[in-house]
Amino acid sequence: MTEDLLSLIKENVIQGRIAQDDEGFDEGLVGQPGASELTEKALTEGVNLEDIINKGLTEGMNIVGQKFETGEYYIPDMLASAETVGAAMEILEPHLAQSGIKSKGKILVATVKGDLHDIGKNIVSILLRGAGYTVKDLGNDIAPQTIVEAVREERPQFLGMSALLTSTMIHMNNTIEALTESGLRDKVKIIIGGAAVSEEFAQSIGANGYGADGFQAVKIMDALRNSMKG
Amino acid sequence: MIIIGENINASNRSVAEAIVSRDREFLQGLARAQVTAGADFIDVNSSLGSGSIEDEPATMGWLVEAVQEVTDRPLVIDSDRPEVIEAALRRYRGERLMINSVTAQPERLASIGSLAAKRQAWVIALAMGSEGIPSTVAERLAACDQIMARLTQLGLEAEQIFFDPLILPIAVDSHQGMVSLKTLEQIKSHYPAAKTVLGLSNISYGLPLRKLINRAFLLMAAYAGLDAVILNPLDTKMMSFIKAADMLTGKDSSCRGYTRAHRKGILED
Repeated sequence: MTEDLLSLIKENVIQGRIAQDDEGFDEGLVGQPGASELTEKALTEGVNLEDIINKGLTEGMNIVGQKFETGEYYIPDMLASAETVGAAMEILEPHLAQSGIKSKGKILVATVKGDLHDIGKNIVSILLRGAGYTVKDLGNDIAPQTIVEAVREERPQFLGMSALLTSTMIHMNNTIEALTESGLRDKVKIIIGGAAVSEEFAQSIGANGYGADGFQAVKIMDALRNSMKG
Repeated sequence: MIIIGENINASNRSVAEAIVSRDREFLQGLARAQVTAGADFIDVNSSLGSGSIEDEPATMGWLVEAVQEVTDRPLVIDSDRPEVIEAALRRYRGERLMINSVTAQPERLASIGSLAAKRQAWVIALAMGSEGIPSTVAERLAACDQIMARLTQLGLEAEQIFFDPLILPIAVDSHQGMVSLKTLEQIKSHYPAAKTVLGLSNISYGLPLRKLINRAFLLMAAYAGLDAVILNPLDTKMMSFIKAADMLTGKDSSCRGYTRAHRKGILED
């Protein structure tokens, strides 16, 4: 019974269906319960929260990641699935604290100064939340000093920066320098992403990782997290 | 966009011959092909012209039955003659259907409107009265007002009415594209609950590369609020444009319709 419910949640993440009125990737699903309804149901039936997140949402999103990588899924399909995870997480969030489930870590995310693009950053945020991280989104057009102050106050383990423009990517560099000057650089692992940047650029400015898309961002975060433990 | 397949129309010679010779298989083939191509409704028109007017009710009845043998898609009964529509309705099995068409011409509006109300059918209403297609937006809207008043009085709801703003060939009057589009826009703003429909091909009459013109016009009409279109669904390029237009006008959440059509391999760029 529980297994059925979890696999239904997973299936609806793959289909990208939040509610019962939603279409899915495949045809003919309108009217069947979506991830929100199923998550509510799982909560009332007392299904283990970690199971909902791991076996339902995360396993579903992993498959979405594979489908996106192979080109079977396009951006709107992936977005619909990410939003589905986001909606389910919103339902679960009030229950997480009481149940004693620990976050995998806290990450601050921001699109850097002069850059108003936030779609990619938002996708990454949803995927990271779904993967069990606590995400604090500073927004877009965020100056280096603002990021430094936020790092000082929030004490995150990770910082994620996004830049879509070749004219704004320089601010990633500036932010890292500002963190170094404030003595905070060693306190956070920094990952960057966005159309303007690359693995080489990440290395050149001394970031800890580069993600070409949201799924890679999650993988890199998990890898960095494991390296920190060791 | 609701797709109404236009291919079973007796004004097409091969269709007329098939109707005369009661070539069930040929007509059923046309129906099947349109359904496969994505038609939501199948229009049936049995009007063979003078000489066969008395036989038409029986002919229409036969045609409706023949087409319904091979598809569950709803039909559009295409006739302006109440007795022909009545014959079609007698043979029609199925819930939804559409009647094509009424105008503001009072007698037919009343008789066909009553038939539609009794059956709770959707009705295509041409934005014209007894005097042919008006050349101005105001006159076309006046016809719509009369039709709306009468049909709702007879017991139909606004959402059951599909107004056709009508198209005159752009080759004859270069303003006619805008007249149709403005009329369409005005209908949507006066009667938000009502639907709109167009047969596209008239716009390009008398010009070369007609399909190009029809496609361009479809995109503009989609922006102006078009809900349904009467066309040949086997025109895959046009059908591809419709998928793109639905997506671009916000009718396709998560671009599902577009990407699904792409997966099925039916989009052509």
